Amino acid sequence: MTHPLSIWAGAIVTLAVFSYLARDNPFYRLVQQAALGASVGIGLVIAWQQILAPMWWTPIRTALDGTGDARGAWWLLALVPGALWYFQFSKKYFWLSTLVSGLFVGVAAGLAFKGQILLIMPQIGASLKPLNPFAGPEGFTWTALAQCLSNLVFLVGMFTTLLYFFFSIKTDNRWFATPIRVGRIMIMISLGAMFGSTVMTRMSYLIERLQFLYEIWLKPLLPS
Amino acid sequence: MTRWLAKLHNLNPRWLYLATAVLLLVPLVTMIPMPRSDISGAVRGLYDMIEACPPDGIVLIDSSWDAGSQSENKAELKCVVRHLCRRKIRFVVISTVTPFCPEFAGQVIEPIAKEAGYVYGRDWTNMGYIQANTGLAVVIEGLARDFHKMRQADVHGTPVDQLPLMKDVRSIRDLYLVYSVTYSPGTEWISFVKGQFGTPVAFGCMSIMAPSYYAYIDSGQLSGMLAGNRGAAEYEALLQHPDLGTKLSMAASFGNAAVILAALVGNLGLWAALRMRRRAA
Repeated sequence: MTHPLSIWAGAIVTLAVFSYLARDNPFYRLVQQAALGASVGIGLVIAWQQILAPMWWTPIRTALDGTGDARGAWWLLALVPGALWYFQFSKKYFWLSTLVSGLFVGVAAGLAFKGQILLIMPQIGASLKPLNPFAGPEGFTWTALAQCLSNLVFLVGMFTTLLYFFFSIKTDNRWFATPIRVGRIMIMISLGAMFGSTVMTRMSYLIERLQFLYEIWLKPLLPS
Repeated sequence: MTRWLAKLHNLNPRWLYLATAVLLLVPLVTMIPMPRSDISGAVRGLYDMIEACPPDGIVLIDSSWDAGSQSENKAELKCVVRHLCRRKIRFVVISTVTPFCPEFAGQVIEPIAKEAGYVYGRDWTNMGYIQANTGLAVVIEGLARDFHKMRQADVHGTPVDQLPLMKDVRSIRDLYLVYSVTYSPGTEWISFVKGQFGTPVAFGCMSIMAPSYYAYIDSGQLSGMLAGNRGAAEYEALLQHPDLGTKLSMAASFGNAAVILAALVGNLGLWAALRMRRRAA
């Protein structure tokens, strides 16, 4: 059974990248540079086909030749702020680029401020967790007790971690030394969990490529 | 024995690479059945949301992944789309990270939609790439207020007015759920879609990013989350349809076991090497 060229290309490129594990070699470097070039090239074409042509160029063109909405010609004005970005290359007229970059920073800062308020306020509310296992609607249950213990661990973790980053107190203060140490342990546990997730993700990359090599490329070539 | 262990300390790492590759290939070739883990609350949350979706509900999928993160995002999209198709729920697909994403999404969705008898334009649409590099928040705000203004045509160039499904989707209030599946879903979905408009949001992310999002599950800001292939495998277990996530997470279990074994053996080798050096001194 023969494969389409894309499958062969995928397999050869994958093997060329894996060859780096043996040692650095010209095949690996060739594929690396080719991938970068192809990515930029394809990205440019798609950006034109899917964004600039339908959303900017076509409205202008149809407005100018009378086949579309005449208001489309207003899109020509977008060239002005777009061109201002390029003054970053000029020492003399650099200030012109700051007009448009300032506008972008202002919009981004405003939205980020609003976004953070909407994101963090519910987090503060959710941090207030019950610690009394008798306070539930069903009274005391073992599930309620387990939940309260879990909440206790959460609250200890939250307060001690916050304390660790509270730089206005001395770390050898006898009241705060132990909680700060607990905070550090909590941070280490969190970072350990993140590192574990990192290993899982890297493993997933490898598995996906191995699956491609075996199931899509090699298996159909093997005699059944 | 000590001398043999000490040799491991100086083992050429290329043997480890080879052993890892062989070990990962075993489950892919033989499909060894593995015991299933419990379903996490985050996965069940998303499953229950889709189960509770009314028949006329519409789900927005932000499928913003390509070759870079298909190792986990593909399975996460596949299982959720299968669930939507099984329940005959309509959905709209957009992509906000790279221009390559719509094609990857289409390759996953089209066979499942076809098998379920979905009609393109009526039951699902791929609205293509919406450039969001300069600010996802701007795009989300725009989509939330007027979808048609943000995207005037689908990925094939069909005007939005000619797509029957899009007549029912004008703003975020017309959507039942937003499911963002990408390497690292933007918290802007939580801030603006859930926080400002109250529409539920769920994520599918790479395992590496999952610890950052659990706080939002606990606070109820996220309705559910699939964390990597393991999350997809759990979802497939709920659907009783083992597929890509199950297969890849099975291989990952072998890989994780290999990492633990290599760490143990490496430490034993170090201990043996130090012991031999002390004896020699």
